[in-house]
Amino acid sequence: MYTPPGVGRPRARRRSTLLPLAAAATALVMAVTACGGDSGSGDGVVELRFSWWGADDRHSTMQQVIDVFEAENPDIRIVGDYTDWSSYWDRLATSTAANDAPDILMQEERYLREYGDRGALADLTEFSDVLDLSKIDPLVAESGDLDGQTFGAASGVNAYAILADPQAFEDAGVEMPDDETWTWDDYVEISAQISEATDGETVGTQSMSYNESGFQIFARQRGENLYAEDGSLGFSQETMAEWFSITEQLLENGGQPGAAESVEIEGGGPDQSVLSTNQGAMAHFWTNQLGGISESSGREIELLRYPGESEGERTGMYFKPAMFYSVAASSEHPEEAARFVDFMLNENAAAELILADLGLPANVDVRAHILNSLPEADARSAVFLSDIEGTIVDGNPPPPIGAGQVVEITKRVTDDLAFGNLTPEEAAEQFMSEVEAATGGA
Amino acid sequence: MSALLQRGRAAAQDQAAPASRPRSGKSAAPRAKRENLAAYGFLAPWFIGLVFITAGPLLASLYFSFTDYNLIGDHEWVGAENYERMFTDARLHSALRVTFVYVFVSVPLQLALALALAMVLDRGVRGLPLYRSVYYLPSLLGGSVAIAILWRQVFGAEGLINQVLGFFGIQGEGWVSHPDYALGTLIVLNVWTFGAPMVIFLAGLRQIPAMYYEAASVDGAGPVSRFWNITVPMLTPIIFFNLVLQIINAFQTFTQAFIVSGGTGGPSDSTLFFTLYLYQRGFGAFDMGYASAMAWLLLMIIGGFTAVNFLASKYWVFYGD
Repeated sequence: MYTPPGVGRPRARRRSTLLPLAAAATALVMAVTACGGDSGSGDGVVELRFSWWGADDRHSTMQQVIDVFEAENPDIRIVGDYTDWSSYWDRLATSTAANDAPDILMQEERYLREYGDRGALADLTEFSDVLDLSKIDPLVAESGDLDGQTFGAASGVNAYAILADPQAFEDAGVEMPDDETWTWDDYVEISAQISEATDGETVGTQSMSYNESGFQIFARQRGENLYAEDGSLGFSQETMAEWFSITEQLLENGGQPGAAESVEIEGGGPDQSVLSTNQGAMAHFWTNQLGGISESSGREIELLRYPGESEGERTGMYFKPAMFYSVAASSEHPEEAARFVDFMLNENAAAELILADLGLPANVDVRAHILNSLPEADARSAVFLSDIEGTIVDGNPPPPIGAGQVVEITKRVTDDLAFGNLTPEEAAEQFMSEVEAATGGA
Repeated sequence: MSALLQRGRAAAQDQAAPASRPRSGKSAAPRAKRENLAAYGFLAPWFIGLVFITAGPLLASLYFSFTDYNLIGDHEWVGAENYERMFTDARLHSALRVTFVYVFVSVPLQLALALALAMVLDRGVRGLPLYRSVYYLPSLLGGSVAIAILWRQVFGAEGLINQVLGFFGIQGEGWVSHPDYALGTLIVLNVWTFGAPMVIFLAGLRQIPAMYYEAASVDGAGPVSRFWNITVPMLTPIIFFNLVLQIINAFQTFTQAFIVSGGTGGPSDSTLFFTLYLYQRGFGAFDMGYASAMAWLLLMIIGGFTAVNFLASKYWVFYGD
């Protein structure tokens, strides 16, 4: 074999063979011991890992909550383990596969059953002596159940809506829409007007098709849904093509940022949304994100109902369990983990810090307790939720196993649409076939 | 001139391989033994790692590639089904396309740049060790997460590149967010890590006896002719070595694409490298059986290219004997 010259060229010095051997042995020992570690600390304190996703303000809030919990429970130490939304699932999958899942973890509707079904999550009803699930709003109380087991406790209630910056509307000289009557055509037109009036300085709206939650509202307005009760697709290809054609129109008339720019904005998460950076008038988000986005924008962001709520055959908006607290099946201290979940769920002290960041609290007593102390933005989202409650027709069937992959499929199909590789009809067709493949097969 | 070259080659061999010649015949055998022992000592950590850390998973992945394995729960034997699925998987085909473009564009560019800079440095620049280190630095950092994040910033819509372009009145794109350019930014990133092959080229250039050049100059050969008739042939073993190594490396690129695209391989799958798609199947879609089969496909591809490289080397690599 060939060796590159100069690399293996021995120089004059050659003394002991013992030294290199010792060095090699030391390196080996170090490499081996580095893999051990981290089991308990020996002083009777149980150490638990708690994983969540979110933006910066959530990370600091959570750390405060953990501090309060540790002060009340000196026998438990909680180590926070956090990241942004998109990395969260990669990380959770790898750590779960390596049998190193965090003891307590945040879950979401689209992933909960995937993990629960595969035996990665503990049944929370087993810890009923330390974890009280009885105060959860009936609206979401059973949303974490699968086959008689409870894999997640809902943290709060959420709705998908449009966040609008009145300041941006005013700067553009465009009037805020009446969200009880506005149509999808209005939405397209208003967005274009804002972009035009500000010469593109402020875009009308952020691209909406990166999240299938918006399409779910759109489908429900037509008496359809994203998924049917049996987990199959619950909408027609025409409906989806129509949905994508709205994005196409907005790209053409400048109502939303161009394709490449949208990719960049989307990759930045809520902190980089057009509202947070004061570069746009509207964006589609969950109600619990109002607080964070208001803060990073420095503006008084408002919530609007989805367009078309009075246009279709019925309303489409819905409540969703914002997130779930789950305990890993592999946790060595599930009892202590359940105690922490109980604290997060039922303690006023925790809710006073979290407020509405994880949805309007699911525990109805806790919700009542903090309702008056909510900061302005969160108070507005609480009012908004109670305003729309009367118009909501029904809940959604639980998403099928594999729904987590739809997040990625939605983004990819939207990119292809935006860059002109797919027409709305083709985008709908591809979305449907890919989602069926992801959720249909075992 | 051929007699001259004959002698020159002999001289080159003298210089290139002093280690292979026992300096004093007497103590040669024991010394070789001791050297071997030291070599095995150094080899041991790697070897133990190979057996216990690499070989196990390697064999397990071969087994899993014939199963339906969801990563968390049980697995089920499905025969060659995973391999059959590859024929109809459009995203796999697009991932292969992206990866091949990346390998076949970035590796030649990287080696050309490495050779060019090695030749400049070989002219005897003052402070050579410093330059060598500075140029080598990207090779150490290029695969890191930090550099990939930096890359995303530099080539972003508001990034450094566009600021410079803006200075000249050019409105740049969001390079990493456009499917036509995103792969290009990653190719540039790989080319930028030319330091490792450069250092090896530099060592190779040092081995070419100056007398060849002198003789050629006397015969009236210009710089271009000297380059093609002396430098390139004498360097072919080094070029070959770098080529094999960089191709293997490039096929396995993951970190840069993962970070720059936020793990999606987007926009529009334009940076969906083979390894990134493998990762998505395995850890995003819990399709570890298929991901394992993909890993073996990649092994076969890399193995194939390396084999072809070695076979072809007979016809163009000049070992000077």
